[in-house]
Amino acid sequence: MKGKAWVIGDNIDTDQIYPGKYLPLTDIKEMAKHALEGIEGLEDFSQRVEKGDFVVAGKNFGCGSSREHAAVCLREAGVAMVMAESFARIYYRNTVNIGYPVLECEEITKKVNDGDILEVDPESGIIKNERTGETIQALPLSGLEREISDAGGLLQYIKKNTE
Amino acid sequence: MGSTIIEKIIARSTGREVVTPNERVWVDVDLAVVRDFGGPNVILEYEKDFGDQKVHDPDKIAITFDLHVPAKDEKVAQNQKICRDFAMKQGIKNLFDVGSGIGQHVLLENGLVNAGDVIVGTDSHMNLLGCANSFSSGVGTTDIVATWAQGKLWFKVPRTIKISLEGNLEKPTSAKDVILHILKNVGCEGALYRSVEICGPTLENMSLSERITLTSMVTEMSGKAAFTPPHRKVMDFLERRTKKEQDAIFPDEDAQYVEEFDFEVGNLEPQIACPDSPDNVKPVSEVEGTPIDEVFIGSCTNGRYEDLYEAAQILKKNKVADGVRLIVLPSTAEVARAALDNGLYQIFFEAGAVVPNPSCGLCTTGHHGILARGEVLVSTSNRNFPGKVGKGGKVYLASPATAAASSIKGKITSPGGL
Ligand code: SF4
Repeated sequence: MKGKAWVIGDNIDTDQIYPGKYLPLTDIKEMAKHALEGIEGLEDFSQRVEKGDFVVAGKNFGCGSSREHAAVCLREAGVAMVMAESFARIYYRNTVNIGYPVLECEEITKKVNDGDILEVDPESGIIKNERTGETIQALPLSGLEREISDAGGLLQYIKKNTE
Repeated sequence: MGSTIIEKIIARSTGREVVTPNERVWVDVDLAVVRDFGGPNVILEYEKDFGDQKVHDPDKIAITFDLHVPAKDEKVAQNQKICRDFAMKQGIKNLFDVGSGIGQHVLLENGLVNAGDVIVGTDSHMNLLGCANSFSSGVGTTDIVATWAQGKLWFKVPRTIKISLEGNLEKPTSAKDVILHILKNVGCEGALYRSVEICGPTLENMSLSERITLTSMVTEMSGKAAFTPPHRKVMDFLERRTKKEQDAIFPDEDAQYVEEFDFEVGNLEPQIACPDSPDNVKPVSEVEGTPIDEVFIGSCTNGRYEDLYEAAQILKKNKVADGVRLIVLPSTAEVARAALDNGLYQIFFEAGAVVPNPSCGLCTTGHHGILARGEVLVSTSNRNFPGKVGKGGKVYLASPATAAASSIKGKITSPGGL
């Protein structure tokens, strides 16, 4: 995977990722139009993001409510992967459960600038930053989370395993 | 090596002797709960994936209506109807409709929570049921769909943090002041992926309602689950409500904790969380005199009878200050009934308060009392992130006593002097 990094801060909550006023929307194409809209300066993110780009965040990404829209809208907007220094617990579960895994990576916002081009191998968790030439090791998904995610998500996983 | 409470509960519900932190396990879930908000998404998703397939066990499902009740607009009305129709079709008896009150409290009162149970729900404050010795946690839509279909859910066994409290609380300091003080020290991410046990001699005299206040705000520390140690009083309550014998789960003496905190709370003064974070906590005396527009007494953190009683003692023979709105909200119909029978409604009305029907009220920009830009609220709820009660509003979190005292003075006021 290769793409451009959008670097954002710590404690980005679900209201900034997907504002609560759009919760009644059920069409994912519509939902994607509001991805990251709650972050100051990124109101038009969905128009500027290109397919395959990455979101790079600080600590506790996805804190706040349990809304799954916050994971779905980024995938639908074209974001290939979210990498953060840490994820809020329910957000992390939601990404595994919908088969859109994330990468956890210490201090990544110190090693990546907004606009850097990254090459990411989700299997090994190795991230290469083209600008600095630096290789960064993230914590790749493993064990059960990997199996669920590889199956395409929790519902696919349980269907596969009950047949 | 011994086990913590959550390790024991998870082991039991997977049919194993012991489990170790970081292990991934499939757990038998005793109750999977949705609410009027979020519930319709779960139901639509379930029907998309499983069609008319019967749920794994309708008695292990509960639906609570607590956020936009009674329906505030057409969309909400439609969503509530989706829930009712599904419950009817699937034979789900535990639907608590408009008027019942806040989900977790309704479940407790209606005997759906047992010591040692595993409970999941689409609400980040499910944690509070740890006051009743159950492992209760907030999860997403897909988690609930999967649980309804197969009765099981995956978890990573978390490590546990132990918080020990020493000293007897001196009025007007309350359990809310204690948990705010803990938050200040542990921080909003301090318990991420962790279970939290709050214990120590101070707990000995605490009622169920005080324990609810403590466990509910472990969510603000990002905790996965919260527990207070099982106490005879709590077990008696559960036995009365569930009509079942309870099997209390204690941590082992030699249980392993990843972190331990000790707090002396005997001379703690009333605390308040300032905008815009629940861990931005100061003694009330430091911000005394800040002008306010609205006061909210209620929520899953402080909406019990004891909380309303505490507020009523201060409001008695007093009036809410001019230009200030006071909203008092019982957490459930049962709490409202007790408040009515014991004359609290009279006190609230005479003071000039608004008392809506039991619900989450203005929490999560639901109903009853959203702020205009620039307005200031003193709330007994649990979160004060930006926009939590309306864009541009500022929220301070405090105890029922501090909230009541502030409503009379029209500015942030320590309850001590009243
Ligand atoms: S009172 Fe607020 S925090 Fe508590 S359950 Fe209701 S919406 Fe959630």
